[in-house]
Amino acid sequence: MKTRQTIAVIGATGNMGSAISKSLSKGNYRLLLKANKQEELDPLVKEIKTKNADADIEAAVCPAEAGWEADIIILAVPFGAENEVAKKIKEVANQKIVISIANPLSETYNGLVTAPGTSAAEELQKLLPNSKVIKAFNTTFAANFSTPVIDGKQADAFIAGNDEEALQTVAELVATAGFNPIVAGDLSVSRTLEHMQLLLIQLGLKYNYNWLAGWKILHN
Amino acid sequence: MYELFFQEFNKKAPLTGEEETLIKTYLTPKKLRRKQYLLQEGDVCKAIAFIEKGALRAYSVDDSGDTHIIQFGLEGWIISDLYSFLTGEPATYNIDAIEDAELVLISKSAHEELLRKLPKYETFTRLNITGAYLAMQKRLTSIISSPLEERYAGFSALYPEIVQRVPQHMIAAYMGLTPETLSRIRRRISSK
Repeated sequence: MKTRQTIAVIGATGNMGSAISKSLSKGNYRLLLKANKQEELDPLVKEIKTKNADADIEAAVCPAEAGWEADIIILAVPFGAENEVAKKIKEVANQKIVISIANPLSETYNGLVTAPGTSAAEELQKLLPNSKVIKAFNTTFAANFSTPVIDGKQADAFIAGNDEEALQTVAELVATAGFNPIVAGDLSVSRTLEHMQLLLIQLGLKYNYNWLAGWKILHN
Repeated sequence: MYELFFQEFNKKAPLTGEEETLIKTYLTPKKLRRKQYLLQEGDVCKAIAFIEKGALRAYSVDDSGDTHIIQFGLEGWIISDLYSFLTGEPATYNIDAIEDAELVLISKSAHEELLRKLPKYETFTRLNITGAYLAMQKRLTSIISSPLEERYAGFSALYPEIVQRVPQHMIAAYMGLTPETLSRIRRRISSK
């Protein structure tokens, strides 16, 4: 697509938010970054611009303003903060793609805090009934964005959602970030995807993967 | 966010509160800053845009790089590459903002669902397309058969707000003239 799309990243200064922002700034996107900590946001915008003079990037005033301008909204906030942010963007996110990256991990990483029959993405969809919620970037660690090729293999990144066109748009975005996009299924598949990352974190802690690990489907 | 949209809608097909609520769930609010594109030539036009605030233009660029403006859009108007929107073929127009703008977008899928669900939306659409067709016929007739001065006088009488808000070189590109010829015509008209 030639027409430049605008992406709002809410929670841009977090580990994942800043990794996603840096990575997408190389694509044909205009980025609007928003975070609670203005003192971290301005240096991040500056850093991205210094590294890539062509980056079309700006700090946004508030989530609602960023969301209003955006075509795609990435919620790079912890699961616990989604409720509050959803309220702020609900109106401006109408009919738009909202990407849920959160894994609803318990504090000790021994499980997920969501009920068995649901997922963080599905809960977000309930909060934003007229938006196209897509699960993406939840099976990738922040460090993967600078190193999407691990052990010589390009990491897979799974996507789930209910809208065909939105899934395609997000698949392009995931490919721009350097991953191999795999559309896994409808939004309820997020339950599996969120558990996959729980497993990867548990294994990482057990075998000391040092937060640089990813998923790769082997197939012929 | 949708004030003017529903005002115009109600003029064409009065809605109940319930119908308004239903339509709202299908609308995409979108802000565009000056000089930003809503659509670039070659992409498929995936939405029609109702202008709540600001000004836009639709234009094509010829082989020698000259810009030809097809349509301006101000508050209360609709702008799109209708051909591309309806056929799914790549757009031949570029659409960008001349002023900061607030838009209400209706995506192709929202458009089709609303057509199925709500006869009043079909009325709204029919009246919009009829209006666009009439305007296009007028413009075509004027281009092929009216003398330049008459064309400009007719345009500025019909759209005084565009003449006020839009830079002269764009009006020239709309009329198919060089900016120099346009300013000569304007001088001649004002000296009459």
